[in-house]
Amino acid sequence: MKRLPLAAGAALAVWTLAAPLFLERGTLNDVWNLAFAVILASAWNILGGFAGQVSLGYSAFLGIGAYTTVLLSLKGINPFWTLPLGAVLAALFSVVIGLPAFRLRGPYFTIATIGVGEAVRVVASSVSFTGGSSGLRMPAGSFDFTLNYEAMAALAIVTVVIAALVRRSAFGHALAAIKQDIDAAESLGVDSTRFKLGAHALSAALVALAGSLYAINFQYIAPGSVFDFRLSLAIVLAPIVGGVGTVAGPVLGAIVFSTLQIKLLSVPALRDSYLFIYGGLLILVMLYEPKGLVGLARRLVARVRRTPAAPAEAARAA
Amino acid sequence: MQDIAGVLVNTVISAALYATMAYGLAVIYGVMRIINLAHAGLMMLGAYATLALFTRFGLDPFLSLLVVGPLFFLIGVVLYRLVVRRLPRSGSTPSMESLLLLFGVWLVLQNLAYVIWTGDTQSILTSYTMKSVPVLGVRVGVPSLFVFAGSVLSLVFLNVVLKATYLGKAIRAVTQNRDAALLAGVDADRISAMAFGLGTAFAGVAGGMLSSLYAFTPDFGRSFLLKAFCIIVLGGMESVTGVAAGALVLAFLENGLGSWTTLPTSLQDAASFTLLFVTLVAFPQGLPGLAARVRAVFK
Repeated sequence: MKRLPLAAGAALAVWTLAAPLFLERGTLNDVWNLAFAVILASAWNILGGFAGQVSLGYSAFLGIGAYTTVLLSLKGINPFWTLPLGAVLAALFSVVIGLPAFRLRGPYFTIATIGVGEAVRVVASSVSFTGGSSGLRMPAGSFDFTLNYEAMAALAIVTVVIAALVRRSAFGHALAAIKQDIDAAESLGVDSTRFKLGAHALSAALVALAGSLYAINFQYIAPGSVFDFRLSLAIVLAPIVGGVGTVAGPVLGAIVFSTLQIKLLSVPALRDSYLFIYGGLLILVMLYEPKGLVGLARRLVARVRRTPAAPAEAARAA
Repeated sequence: MQDIAGVLVNTVISAALYATMAYGLAVIYGVMRIINLAHAGLMMLGAYATLALFTRFGLDPFLSLLVVGPLFFLIGVVLYRLVVRRLPRSGSTPSMESLLLLFGVWLVLQNLAYVIWTGDTQSILTSYTMKSVPVLGVRVGVPSLFVFAGSVLSLVFLNVVLKATYLGKAIRAVTQNRDAALLAGVDADRISAMAFGLGTAFAGVAGGMLSSLYAFTPDFGRSFLLKAFCIIVLGGMESVTGVAAGALVLAFLENGLGSWTTLPTSLQDAASFTLLFVTLVAFPQGLPGLAARVRAVFK
């Protein structure tokens, strides 16, 4: 039973990587979107779920990755070579933001991150080297969708694996301690700021990588697309609906989220209002099952077995 | 000189509006320790309600505030009874659940507006929208003056309610100490519903006034929400004078940046986000905390 999620994950990973062999372009595009959502959700979850620091400013990192890629490509550099630099820049920015912001706790941190995200968007649309609010286009050239797809799929798998590794490591335990009781963690010698900064940088870098691939795929970026507040929303909603703080939750949430999104976006009347469903989902999750779909599944399993969850399981779920 | 007068007049005018937006948040925060992210959505809805009254019945946007205010009070009470009350009680600090729940409410409101009114930009044009009159030698738009008057009236109304009625006293009591208020026989649940209604009414009124100054879409309200946050954080979250002071500081900063620097207008919006961030980090107790610290230094 323990190995079941691992096997399912491995099968899903292989299927995703091999998908270009048997899926047509349209469906493949949907899977690309799904992988993109999985990366954002799982990466956000490292800070937001494991450490409990809910940030609503993640579009900033996505945008940094995307802009780094486009700006350097315009200088004639191969887009894929720009990925590491975008990740490093996003990680640095996350530290610059985190150093002051992590002095804030809970909702105050969240509000500060809304401010950061908005400020970055406003600045990006008013300075000139980013092309202002009209955005930037990638240099004309050959674009290989299959290559981009494989990169996105691989990044999604790597992100989930990293999340799983973090969860098991001492680092992950420190984050869990910070989430449960930051004062108690501090008094036991956990340097909470350092661990929060580390989690922030790691998730920012992963999100920036996804942002770079996003730019390569769409060939055009603007502050209204990559720095959009709705993007920050989507990044947060998927893991919360799926189940924060677990490895499977964000993946599940992202799958549900992007499948619904694809379905809803194909209905013209709902094109602008598809987030309605997520607002409703968010309300339901917060009121009835704060642990999300994963929590719901665990409760159902426990009920079917008619025995309370084993103490170790319950502790891990907390 | 002219310049200074201009900045000061505009500062006072925008500060009154900002204070109206911020009080709604502050009342709810005080009574329930909830950060109401849905405030932005309610302001947006207030703007659309004003628009609907204007186009359907030809009601002047400022007269319609008399309808919008009570209507939004009811909406707030219903919202509280249906959704907010079901949240697990949090202690002295706001809980993440309440923040995310109201975030969900905001999303629902926003997208409901997309369904009803589509994403097209709307604005309210009255006979006096483009007119302006001189105030202390500064030309001020007539709608801005009406907004100022409306804000001052709402603030006076709120003050009277808080100071002179049982409801106001109960709200202040619960804000100061919930448990003590319960012991004294205050029905905290009822008071919470009333406070949520009052806060929502202020959001609606502020939104209605904003609609005669700015064009709006269902996405409207986010930057104003951040301004309101900035103000209550500056003002120290619970104090009435603090909110007014915070509104003045923010309005002065924005107007000053606009007149005395060459910063592009689009960047001026970043002023409030920056101020919010700096305040939260450098002196989270807000202006009252800062004042206390300054006093301590000079003692």
